[in-house]
Amino acid sequence: VRPFAYLRPTDDRSALHAAAENGSEAIAGGTGMVDLLRLGVSTPARLVDLAALAWSRIERSADGGLRIGALVKNSDLAYHPDVQERFPALSQALLSGASPQLRNMASTGGNLLQRTRCSYFRDVAIRQCNKRLPGSGCAAIGGDTRMHAVLGGSDACIAVHPSDMCVALVALDAVVRARGPNGERDIPVEELHVLPGARPDVESVLRKGELVTHVILKPSPWAARSVYVKLRDRASFAFALASAAVALDVAGGTIRTARVALGGVATKPWRSHEAEHELVGQAANAATFRRAAAAAMENAQPRGDNAFKVELGRRVVVRSLERAAGAA
Amino acid sequence: VESRTADGVVGNVAPLRVIGDPAEKWPLTPGGFEGVPVVLAFVEEAPIVRGPSVEALRAELRGLGAALVVVSSSDVWSFRPDNEFERRASAADISAGDLSELRRRYGAPFGALSVFVVDAERRLRFAQTAVAADVRGAAAMATVVEAISAAGRALVASSPRAVQVSRRELVVGALLTALAAALSEACHVGTRGWAPPTQPSAADVPSSLNEVDVTLQVNGAPHTLHLEPRVSLLDALRERMGLTGTKKGCDHGQCGACTVLVDGRRVNSCLVLAVMAQGGKITTIEGLADGDTLHPVQAAFVEEDALQCGYCTPGQIMSAVGLLGEGRAKTDDEVREHMSGNICRCGAYPNIVSAIQLARGRVRS
Repeated sequence: VRPFAYLRPTDDRSALHAAAENGSEAIAGGTGMVDLLRLGVSTPARLVDLAALAWSRIERSADGGLRIGALVKNSDLAYHPDVQERFPALSQALLSGASPQLRNMASTGGNLLQRTRCSYFRDVAIRQCNKRLPGSGCAAIGGDTRMHAVLGGSDACIAVHPSDMCVALVALDAVVRARGPNGERDIPVEELHVLPGARPDVESVLRKGELVTHVILKPSPWAARSVYVKLRDRASFAFALASAAVALDVAGGTIRTARVALGGVATKPWRSHEAEHELVGQAANAATFRRAAAAAMENAQPRGDNAFKVELGRRVVVRSLERAAGAA
Repeated sequence: VESRTADGVVGNVAPLRVIGDPAEKWPLTPGGFEGVPVVLAFVEEAPIVRGPSVEALRAELRGLGAALVVVSSSDVWSFRPDNEFERRASAADISAGDLSELRRRYGAPFGALSVFVVDAERRLRFAQTAVAADVRGAAAMATVVEAISAAGRALVASSPRAVQVSRRELVVGALLTALAAALSEACHVGTRGWAPPTQPSAADVPSSLNEVDVTLQVNGAPHTLHLEPRVSLLDALRERMGLTGTKKGCDHGQCGACTVLVDGRRVNSCLVLAVMAQGGKITTIEGLADGDTLHPVQAAFVEEDALQCGYCTPGQIMSAVGLLGEGRAKTDDEVREHMSGNICRCGAYPNIVSAIQLARGRVRS
């Protein structure tokens, strides 16, 4: 681990100031950052520990929604009664991720901004990684692609966004509140992450010095019946091969509102408007779900080893929609 | 003597000082730079200089009559004014030992950008080390190349008749001032003063920034340690406090061997920085038993023979104590799911589940 200076600001202003300095990286739970420090992937001059800040509560809003502090631990969020009751896909997604120990440490903000698990990105002995060394190439393309993305990739990067939580947040229309040198703004989680394009090193729309302070959830009848399904190599403690967060609002057998988001198959938490389009106004049955699943993966671009994810992605969409329809 | 650029004065280049003993000859690797000033840069990453930028760099070096040598942790890249730049891999004519010897000789720490100018007589004329994220990787190279380019501009702008120094001295002076300017601009965090290395091994030890006093509450007693912020809680427990019951397995949060409790919650101590664990009540495997009386989970692991080699066992037990405190996992399947963060290479899982179920009724939560 490269040496770095350590700061633990106790007020928002100092934290924002320190985080905006060149060479600064923020650290919250540390499950991602300490790992990346040890791998040599992250080499900050200064770590700004956010732990002393007040963004660590889950607050109910008047409309029945939630304002979740960026420092709230994954386990506390997953087991919060309001989350389990009104946003079950979020609870299920969180509990399907990592291990109990890691969930006790990992923060909401850190989960949102976690880095890819692409093995080429994480191995500094690999010289080709456009995310780590912009312009150096991509060792995954033409390499071992089994864990890589079939949606949202580019010729520069096909690394999967690894989060389960973000997939649920996208399906639940969650909003991220960010604060920076120029004030506060709200960003839909769906728009927080960006496609790799020619610049895989740019992973979100956050500006230099901006920190996520909260995640905001608004209640809805369909959010309370949302579902998260995750498929992986082992029964627990593994990243998704394919996952889906879905929610349906069904009246008289007809789907009025639908949300479909995919994980494990895309370069960012992937909302499938194509699948939703196939669902709305249709009967909530297996044939509709299969059409939605086909639409979700229609633009998939498999590259060798990851071709299985196209069919797996369809199946996880169908299975999650069946469960959501059962819950509806 | 002033060195000028199109933008104006960039610095005073006279009198040109020699750092240290003027009679001392400084080594260069590889050889073959006789009679030309050399910019020697120690970087983290091998330089990424391709295409037109190589041509531009060669043109600048040709104009200056100077050479550039870039040393990374594994390679030496030399950019001569009259040749293609070439890479000398460590496996070829330069051993990795030679590289670290060179680094040691110059006192260039790892994890930083260090730049030196050695003149045609092999005297050291410039030494500066920059510690900042901005000067790592490709940015380090860009900083050095920009400085060489600025030196070229300064030389062109200077009036030869106004000075009574040789062209070589002028080149060295221009390089020196441009490098100083480029480094101070690139390093928002600041540059560090340089002193000739005294202890041969000192340079091999990565520089420590801001060692801090850290007080940890471990098993009911405070321990104050003086350590760097990069030290993990796991290493602090094992290497600094002698509490070797907590095991290091993967060191990446994937195996659970390092599990400890912080304020009753189980965490992976390998992913906690010790400096961040202050204020929490830390419990390790050493703190579970009550004197000679084993904790119920420890006793159950013995009774159920819930281990084979035993390496993962402290982590399994701490995780199980955390699980029982959480009170969520009841069935065997739930126990398995909630113990998923603890890997056992021996496959003692069935007996681990049995031990946890046995201990459940005996633990007062």
